Amino acid sequence: MRKRSLLFIFFALILSFSLAFSVGCAKKAAVKEGEEKQLSPEKKAEAEQAAKEQAVKEAEKKDAEAAAAIAGFDYIYFDFDKYNVKPEARETLKKLANYLNANPAAGVRVEGNADERGTAEYNLALGERRAQSAAKYLMGLGIAKKRISTISYGEERPVDPGHTEEAWAKNRNAHFVLTGK
Amino acid sequence: MLKKIAIGSILIFFMTPCLQDTYGRVYIDIDSPSLPKFPIAITDFYCPVDREGHSIWFPDQLGKFLKLTGYFQVIDKKAFLDTGTGGIRFADWTAIGAESLVKGAVRNEGNILSSDFHLFDVTQGKSLVFKRYTGTARDKRAMVMRFASEIMLALTGEAGVFDTRIAFAGKKGKNSEIFTINFDGTDLTRLTNYRALSILPHWSPDGRRISFTSYKRGNPDLFVIEARGGPDHLLSNESGLNLCGPWSSDGRSLLVTLSRDGNEELYVFNQLNGKKYRLTNDTSIDVSPCWSPDGTKVAFVSNRSGSPQIYVMDANGYNVKRITYEGNYNTSPRWSPKGDKIVFEGMRGGNFQILTMNPEGGQLTQLTGSGRNDSPSWSPDGRYIAFVSTTGGKSRLCIMNSNGSNFRIIHSGMDKYMYPNWSPHLNF
Repeated sequence: MRKRSLLFIFFALILSFSLAFSVGCAKKAAVKEGEEKQLSPEKKAEAEQAAKEQAVKEAEKKDAEAAAAIAGFDYIYFDFDKYNVKPEARETLKKLANYLNANPAAGVRVEGNADERGTAEYNLALGERRAQSAAKYLMGLGIAKKRISTISYGEERPVDPGHTEEAWAKNRNAHFVLTGK
Repeated sequence: MLKKIAIGSILIFFMTPCLQDTYGRVYIDIDSPSLPKFPIAITDFYCPVDREGHSIWFPDQLGKFLKLTGYFQVIDKKAFLDTGTGGIRFADWTAIGAESLVKGAVRNEGNILSSDFHLFDVTQGKSLVFKRYTGTARDKRAMVMRFASEIMLALTGEAGVFDTRIAFAGKKGKNSEIFTINFDGTDLTRLTNYRALSILPHWSPDGRRISFTSYKRGNPDLFVIEARGGPDHLLSNESGLNLCGPWSSDGRSLLVTLSRDGNEELYVFNQLNGKKYRLTNDTSIDVSPCWSPDGTKVAFVSNRSGSPQIYVMDANGYNVKRITYEGNYNTSPRWSPKGDKIVFEGMRGGNFQILTMNPEGGQLTQLTGSGRNDSPSWSPDGRYIAFVSTTGGKSRLCIMNSNGSNFRIIHSGMDKYMYPNWSPHLNF
């Protein structure tokens, strides 16, 4: 019953849209004396889809450029069930801080991640702590708090989907993503 | 004889409500530590014009429901001695080891489908329950389910969990959606379609709503949605984690984990006035809270001792006590509906296993032993536990009896099952 009424609303919407569309086009066509071609709804949908894909591509390109800008210092790693910044991570954080100092328009999102060995909910908390630890360290290096955001994905966004010590070590990380450019 | 039973049946039909109080005898003692399965025979149903195969479908479906409880041995039809349509020869049923017998009839008149179910104690040669249900063909599963509940009530003193569902997060690739499914694994329903991470579903005590955490807007925020589907409503979007926990029994409040203050703390979130009352104040991780059934205590996970362990405190946040000392990773506590046990998962022998203990941390009992088993959730009657079992890299949604017996797979095939949460009785 519910489905049927939803379907009805859906068709009613489509009908009203297509009516509005054809009326609008007819008016324009009249004003511009047929200069403007009347797009069929299918063509319009195609054009919209193409525009969407273009936008996604551009966003992806931008993301890739942003990732390339900090490649090599976009991850730091943690020990199992720990969230303290390890000595070997300090160099990475310094490089990132230097980049941010040189690019004052850039912000950074710190994504905290955990390996699959813990429990999912606890790992959300652990990921949050890792992101917070990294953020605090960056603040200590003089990066303004407002330029840094944090988020935890727990164990749900592994870099390496494997189930080995090596994979787990890669998945216990804070990942830095440039924002606000 | 037939006539006698027929007249008796009508009487029983009208008397049923008061009969339930007069059973007295408990045929199956669920709390007994070693429980032999209760032998029950179900004959083909009488169905004069049987185009849809009801005479077979009804007893088969009833047998499936009863087997799912883990308490019944449904006797193979091939063993039946009494195959007649006349009166019941009780001796023929006790001879094949049956203690109970179900007979039934189905009638189709136009669009109306009506079904009779009759439960007998064959050792005493007496009728226990008679029910007649009337509806349409679409109601036939519900009719069988209702009578399965009647059988459970008559033989164990409690109606069972046939009218319950399990909510969970099902993962595909990077994202997960919220689903619900009948406790027998039928009628899988997807509630969300956000193509984001959606996790931690929790049923409201009336079974009408489900709260959960979703990354649909980027940040892990708290939402609520009608359990039958519909638009969601944002409940909390504090910066950082807004992790969904269980509802209070009055349906007003939710236990939540927030990290707005820079580290995870537990709060009681009052949905009526939007206020958040802080329960913990510790620089370590505090997460996964749950209430005791009387609402006076909260169990939770904290790493304040250096590793994740389970703690219990008063509902106002005072009197914090650690209760797990064995093993260096104990998480996901859930208090049993009767209040006598806490189920949780602990690292044992390099893998997570499901254990129970009493609320003081004593009487530790390990329920699972092979593969990885985590995320336990009690059925509303406390007789079953839903959980996620992973072996050979394959994740499955499972249930078992609360003593660890009768492992059953409810659903498999998704990349990963997470956070099963058993509904209250839904009375469908």
